[in-house]
Amino acid sequence: MASANKDTGLEYLVNQLISVITNDGRNIVGMLKGYDQATNLIIDESHERVYSTTTGVEQHVLGLYIIRGDNIAVVGELDDEMESTLDLTAIKAHPLKPIQHGA
Amino acid sequence: MLFFSYFKELVGKEVTVELKNDLAITGVLHSVDQYLNIKLENIKVVDEIKYPHMMSVKNCFIRGSVVRYVQLPVDGVDVEILHDATRREARGN
Amino acid sequence: MASEEDGAVKEPLDLIRLSLDERIYVKLRADRELRGKLHAYDQHLNMILGEVEEVVTTTEIDDETYEEIVKTTKRQVPYLFVRGDGVILVSPPLRSA
Repeated sequence: MASANKDTGLEYLVNQLISVITNDGRNIVGMLKGYDQATNLIIDESHERVYSTTTGVEQHVLGLYIIRGDNIAVVGELDDEMESTLDLTAIKAHPLKPIQHGA
Repeated sequence: MLFFSYFKELVGKEVTVELKNDLAITGVLHSVDQYLNIKLENIKVVDEIKYPHMMSVKNCFIRGSVVRYVQLPVDGVDVEILHDATRREARGN
Repeated sequence: MASEEDGAVKEPLDLIRLSLDERIYVKLRADRELRGKLHAYDQHLNMILGEVEEVVTTTEIDDETYEEIVKTTKRQVPYLFVRGDGVILVSPPLRSA
């Protein structure tokens, strides 16, 4: 590939904390263990962050998850510094909307 | 291939990617692949009050299939080059 | 008259090619409409439009009267890449005499 096209893979994120937004609007945080061309992901020690306008963010433990690439919208690299200053109980927001392919 | 090539030229410039879940993310275009998956650096969600979901994310990968729009920088569009490339691509199909 | 290669309309995309550098109307999924100058497109109908006006139509149900309230939101964008999978229809500019 041309040099202008830097790696779009997720190799540099392996064994790092990532935040995934799925097509149905959920937010799953965990350690990236593996991925492939289709953006299928293996995430260990994962938990879901459930957003609410009344109670702040609740965390639900999920464990080892494989997420199918077709259902992934965004994969974010969590910044440790910003993450450590984050007060999840103070964050009040609506859950994200699902990805609207139709209608 | 036209838009893959186009976005490769745009690497290093600031764009705003609007997703099909109404989330809009501004960042510096880091890379793009053949599926038009996009990597952004130093991101900022446009409406951070409404969407605090990515507050501790600096860099991200966006799956091409969930992109609705990309707002392009004015200095990142050369209309003549685009017209020529489009006509060339249209002949090839 | 344009050369044969430029002028022939044999398939739908040829009509779009003739709209290059012209203002077109694009209807998209999720109740969105765009008007803008067509600068690039491909076979998926991915496009780059310039001087774009987007109109989003939303309907809300009034809490008390249960009436449908239709709202339109407009905005202007200098240059926009539009992903083709959201495109429902493309209308070339009117070619009146």
